[in-house]
Amino acid sequence: MEDVSSRIVEKAISLGCQDAIADVITNRSYQIRFAQNEAVISNRWRESTASVFFVYDKRILASDIKDLSRVDEAVERLVKIAKGSQQNPDYAGIAKGPFRYARVRPDPKVLSLDDGGKYVEAAIGGATDQGAKECAGSFWKYEDEHFLATSNGVEAHDHRASLYLSIRALLSLESSGHGIACATKLSQFNPEKAGRKAGRIAALARSPKPGKAGRYTVVFDPLIFGSLMDQTGGRLGAWTVMAGLSPFGKKIGKRVASPQLTLYDDGSAESITRKRFDAEGVPTRRNVLVNKGVLKTYLHNTSTAKKFRTKTTGNAGLISPDPHAIFVKPGDRSRDEIFSEVKDGLWLTNTWYTRYQSYVTGDLSTIPRDGIFHIRKGEVVEAWKDIRLTDNLIHLLKNIVALGDEPEQMMWWGEVSIPNFVPYALIKDVGITTSAE
Amino acid sequence: MDEETDLANFALDYATKKGVSYAEARYEHQEQENFILKNGVLDALYVGQDRGVGVRVLVNGALGFAATNMRTKSDVRAIVDDAIKVAKASRRKTKITFAQEDAIEMNWSIPEQRKLADVSVEEKIAEIQSVDRDLMALGLKIPARYFQFSDNRIVKYFANSEGSRIRSYSPRLRVFYFLTVAQDGQVEQTYRNYGWSGGWEGIAAWDLRKRVIDEARSMQRSLVEGKKSPEGKMDLVAGPQVAGIASHESCGHPTEADRVLGREASQAGKSFIPPDGIGMRVGSEVVNVVDDPTVEHTIAYYRTDDEGVKARRRYLYKEGRVTEFLQNRETAAAMHTRSNGAARAVNYNVEAIVRMANTFVEPKDHSVEELLEDVKFGVYMKSFMEWNIDDKRYNAKYAGREAYLVENGEVKHPVRNTIIELTTPSFWSAVDAVGKDLDFEAGFCGKSDPGQALDASLGGPTIRLRNVYLR
Repeated sequence: MEDVSSRIVEKAISLGCQDAIADVITNRSYQIRFAQNEAVISNRWRESTASVFFVYDKRILASDIKDLSRVDEAVERLVKIAKGSQQNPDYAGIAKGPFRYARVRPDPKVLSLDDGGKYVEAAIGGATDQGAKECAGSFWKYEDEHFLATSNGVEAHDHRASLYLSIRALLSLESSGHGIACATKLSQFNPEKAGRKAGRIAALARSPKPGKAGRYTVVFDPLIFGSLMDQTGGRLGAWTVMAGLSPFGKKIGKRVASPQLTLYDDGSAESITRKRFDAEGVPTRRNVLVNKGVLKTYLHNTSTAKKFRTKTTGNAGLISPDPHAIFVKPGDRSRDEIFSEVKDGLWLTNTWYTRYQSYVTGDLSTIPRDGIFHIRKGEVVEAWKDIRLTDNLIHLLKNIVALGDEPEQMMWWGEVSIPNFVPYALIKDVGITTSAE
Repeated sequence: MDEETDLANFALDYATKKGVSYAEARYEHQEQENFILKNGVLDALYVGQDRGVGVRVLVNGALGFAATNMRTKSDVRAIVDDAIKVAKASRRKTKITFAQEDAIEMNWSIPEQRKLADVSVEEKIAEIQSVDRDLMALGLKIPARYFQFSDNRIVKYFANSEGSRIRSYSPRLRVFYFLTVAQDGQVEQTYRNYGWSGGWEGIAAWDLRKRVIDEARSMQRSLVEGKKSPEGKMDLVAGPQVAGIASHESCGHPTEADRVLGREASQAGKSFIPPDGIGMRVGSEVVNVVDDPTVEHTIAYYRTDDEGVKARRRYLYKEGRVTEFLQNRETAAAMHTRSNGAARAVNYNVEAIVRMANTFVEPKDHSVEELLEDVKFGVYMKSFMEWNIDDKRYNAKYAGREAYLVENGEVKHPVRNTIIELTTPSFWSAVDAVGKDLDFEAGFCGKSDPGQALDASLGGPTIRLRNVYLR
């Protein structure tokens, strides 16, 4: 596959392109979806794709070549199309290699795993032991291999494999909890623990009462805090800022969060999506995005970096820079200490459907799901339902008052799109609304 | 024999020899062009061709699915083996069955007055750029904007072990745009999304230029003349875009049978409608909400679904009551009924699950003027920006983008950020009149794992709601 990447790049350059990138990706992932405590379908993929990026006289063309037996023909066709396209004056080239990369290999035990059934059963068992009646979710063995070549001297390889399980446990339609298990090593994969957590929250959420609107101090469980951090990281890409899709525009060097919050992106760190390099071949690394509440940088590729007069952060996608994995620097409070600080507030465990009225101001709402709890003096007094978190992203970040000392890796369908390493968090003055009568 | 027939039939023969109780092969070839014009600059052009085969088998009452884009018989044999192997490993206690369907042999295609393949990329870019130029010629302060254009030509060949053989061609066109308009330190943002099944003539049919310019002008007017939206109980006249999103979110999603049965519980969620909820009252007697894949030129038009079942109109709510769930063959068997042709997959490499197509409030006979004329005090919300709904599809929110105060039947000044935050029955029970100005917009409907963001359209005529709480 290295040969295919190099051949695509060489062919594009021979046809007059100034820059070319080819990332040949083989996907061998495997999944079990389950519902009503049983597998509903099992899926397996055998796919090979070359994601390519060609630049002809500042005319940018991206594509996925799916038929790797006829790449010369595909490259000829694509370069011809690129020639007829229009120049992007903001284009500033791709990173100049070669680079040195960290040595990373996937766990052989993950690679050889070909039956995830017992992990699904362990997760369901963990949930039903806590009283759950109905469990649904997904087990994933992710496996993909990347063979990257660029016209600026990069030839790189990355073999990635990891395990993931997401489980939602229900006692009834309105009494549910969610748990997540992520691992890059089989020995660290603990789906039963995820099931127990989901089941425990579901049991605690029994017979919920309609919630009351107001402003509350809220304990954010790692899954929902991961959603908030995913929103934050996702709005820090330079492309997103330029497109008017971020409240962080023109805020470099300014306070955007409480001093409690230090946030960084790190594709090189251990996570279920760890990668050695970005789409231009730049080695991934730690980039501090928010330091003690002050915004330090956006995420960049070579072109956006030039536009913002800085250097790439190693976050290139083929078109726009994006975060790889978000890490919150842990605080100094235990989970119990965080709860004990709440005299009269809420504990939220999950959310979905985060939407903005204005991306520029950060005005948003999101709908808590699974366990929602009213707490007094640090203790759960009743389960709630039917509330909406209606607030502003910057306001929420500025009102973080405490962070837990044990971050967990969270990733979940839709809302936590990449791994977020997040602890429990305490945020004050959070707006809660409800449906009108 | 062409490649799709050869590979699909080979997959079925091989699976049948392996002893599966059911097998199907979906071959798809998608050709896409896509570009983003951001702040007047062509960011990048994306041109893609995706072609491959997905095989789904039913073995010992368990489902297995595997897919490949490597189109050789040895690779197809390997995915059949994969699908059977993972199905057998499922260890299900209850058996999955499929509702009975007749085998179909059919070829269908969507006509194009001017074929998308015959329109050069240069012309497509030039068309969107000219809209962008006219927008900027308004002289408004627009600090950020982008247009995303995409077209997709989809050839499918479906074959199953029961004898169905269906070939289809669907050309689709979509433009999404996002605008930020600023004035005196205030901003207004919007996005709109238009879709079309057919040829290049779709661009003219949308009247995109007028729509974009009208939208930008209304944003500017909101910034200059807009006042705080009134709070309290009042009448609401909701335009087609608002009726459309409410149809999709609080009628279409809760009537998806897989959601009702819990198959999506961990991702897209469940439904406030129980499996025995047919007949349940959700709205007033004037409310008919349908999902219909056969509305010509809508972006989710199809004649057969991805399980080879003929498409038809489905009444989700009729006269305010739940009438029908959206079904595929698996859910239909579980509910002892028949599929109504709602199985769709975004591509060959994912399973077909229950999906909406074109979901809308069925129009009646009122003009917009008639709907407004006896509103003493209320809000006319033509479009929305922020929206969301809980995972049982009961508590929804729609925040106004273009909205106006209405007093004594007259449309007055713009009001900003009107909030509708109501339960599904509260919203639909308050509808007392339905207009005739049916209009559609396109959307991406998200569901399943791996996520399938699927073409859908949503729409309706203007509707009137009495005495609802707004803020």
